[in-house]
Amino acid sequence: MPIKLIVKNQDRCMNCATCVFVCSRELRGVLSVKHSAIRISRSGVGFKVTVCSGCEEPDCASACPYEALKPRSGGGVELLNPEKCEKCENRPCLNACSLKALQWDDERKRPIICIECGVCAKFCPHEVLYYGEDV
Amino acid sequence: MNGDILFINLTDGLSWVENRRELVDKCIGGSGLAINLLNELCPDGVDPFAPENPIILASGSFIGLYPACSKTIAMFKSPLTGNLGESHAGGKLGAAIRLAGYEAVVIIGASSKLVWIDIRDNGGVKVNGASSLKKMGGLNTIMALSESSSCGLQSIVAIGPAGENFVYYANVLVDGYNFFGRTGLGAVMGAKNLKAVRITGGGEISVKNLDAYKRVFEKIYEEVVKSGKMRKYHDLGTPQNVLTLNQIKALPTMNFKLGYFDYAEQISGEYFADNLLTRKNTCPLCPIGCKHVVILRSFFADEHEVESIEVGYDYEPIYALGSNLGVGNPMDVLKLRAVCDRYGLDAMMTGTMLAWATEAYEKGLIGLDETMVEPKWGNAEKYIEMIKHIMTMPNEFYLSMAQGKPYKNLGEEFLVAIGGNGLAGYHTGLAFIIGTAIGARHSHLSNAGYSLDQKLLGSTINPVNAVEALLKEETWRCVLECCGVCLFARDVYDKHMVLEALNTIGFNYDGESLEKIGRVAYGLKYKFKFKEGFKFQNLKIPKRIFETATANGIISPEDVKKALTVAEAKIKEIVKEATAQ
Repeated sequence: MPIKLIVKNQDRCMNCATCVFVCSRELRGVLSVKHSAIRISRSGVGFKVTVCSGCEEPDCASACPYEALKPRSGGGVELLNPEKCEKCENRPCLNACSLKALQWDDERKRPIICIECGVCAKFCPHEVLYYGEDV
Repeated sequence: MNGDILFINLTDGLSWVENRRELVDKCIGGSGLAINLLNELCPDGVDPFAPENPIILASGSFIGLYPACSKTIAMFKSPLTGNLGESHAGGKLGAAIRLAGYEAVVIIGASSKLVWIDIRDNGGVKVNGASSLKKMGGLNTIMALSESSSCGLQSIVAIGPAGENFVYYANVLVDGYNFFGRTGLGAVMGAKNLKAVRITGGGEISVKNLDAYKRVFEKIYEEVVKSGKMRKYHDLGTPQNVLTLNQIKALPTMNFKLGYFDYAEQISGEYFADNLLTRKNTCPLCPIGCKHVVILRSFFADEHEVESIEVGYDYEPIYALGSNLGVGNPMDVLKLRAVCDRYGLDAMMTGTMLAWATEAYEKGLIGLDETMVEPKWGNAEKYIEMIKHIMTMPNEFYLSMAQGKPYKNLGEEFLVAIGGNGLAGYHTGLAFIIGTAIGARHSHLSNAGYSLDQKLLGSTINPVNAVEALLKEETWRCVLECCGVCLFARDVYDKHMVLEALNTIGFNYDGESLEKIGRVAYGLKYKFKFKEGFKFQNLKIPKRIFETATANGIISPEDVKKALTVAEAKIKEIVKEATAQ
């Protein structure tokens, strides 16, 4: 079984947003929401955390007209040719993800890709996020 | 720490940024920054409701960086105490301010019509009309202004109708679960015709030495989550106090006439958590989840017609609207809290006034002509009606209630407030009373006298030693307030940890210079108080405090007098040191 990030206990989220900030720290070396691959929103009586599902056959990669996004072995995607994203106007990768888990980096004009590092799960106090075998 | 302060003048709608990096380096941020700005900007003797009274919202240097740090400091001149207005709120505000690129936001002037302010990073400030939000509760206002798809951290603060009506202890709701609860910031916003402020932090916070910062972050995170130092706040939350205090006869009951409540079990943290708790909320980067929330459902007609709302519960509102009003039904306590929240009233001061009114009515000092409904210990329905009257002020009596004053000075000996601020729920002993009296914001959180009383339970408390200990505690707490540390995490952030965390993000302090920062912040708070007419000799301790036995027995008025004399001299020394900076 490959190791991956999964949302294990969605309803336990308190919106401490530690995952959001440590993610931006890993990806870009700063603390921010806009550089993070994770979003939290209100949902019913609680909160909903949205992360990349690490799909085996990712719709976002299939939708990429420039072959910039490629499926990664073990699930999810990697961004191989980010310079190709700069001229992409419609962002089909973002629209292709039904979960809306892909975010857009306005400054660098490319999608923000989850690198499956698992740091977010390490700092999740309620095991909403879990990094391990997908059972 | 870029040092940028955002100024907004509501009179002409203009906004600008001033860089005060030097000041931030000197005082860290938070309450140190806020009190410096307040002393600079607030004209001597200003009417708290005048446009010139500034509202300062200061973030702290740890906010958005370290776990359990999210306390934003509000400062202004208070209509309730007549001098320093100071209140601290959790929630997303401080992080949003920093992610928008600022250390603090200062609001001056007043609008001619009701408005709300929209602040975004890169300098975008827009003042919008708020006519459609008039008389709306804080939570509905926040829901109306909230943007779900924002790609930044968004925080919204809003007042309810009590703020629009200038109730002297109107509060400000922050993000739905947190409050600037005390000393009347809501009324000052109301006087500026300011319904709400929305801040969207779309920027970033960077740290020079990322690896060192990550190590310190993890160390603090582990302490917060695993050490047990914050278990109380995580588990039952502050309502854990109900049974603890009741057991030592320190739970104020029916306007401090008693120190224990027969129905304490029913309104205890244990009862709420076991039977009613539905969720916990928390602040950015805080894994604790101290905000305990229940879904309060009520049937409003036959055939099980039902309405439900979320209500938070904490110790202080449980004491203020529960035991101190003789209300022993937990659902009634929640209903009272919900009404205060909807109107935007500080639940603590509201409880203080209702308790006073009930006793004044009981003693025949006031009658139905004044109160319009019959106040009665334990009768929540009557209190709900009275709370509405406090918000609308239909007669002279309720005008005085809304100002936090005893009507025609009747029964002032049992209006349980010090320095204008209603007492918190700890009838623990001498240290609590001295602590509230000398606390710069007359709050139990200023210096935790209640905690000292409990540590010294059963022993004789020397008033002079108590002053010494309380001043030491309060000046240290000022350091934590400058950083933005939540006081619930005070055991995690000891001096060693604060120094390590500070120095990792680019400040350069040692133990001595750090302590000095706290003393200076405290001294500057008192500088403001003295400037605005605060005098120790005018500080009245209500007689009731000396009549009811505390957990440590009867408090002697001579001890309090002695303590205040000693404290005054010491505080004046601290002011001198702070002013010399």
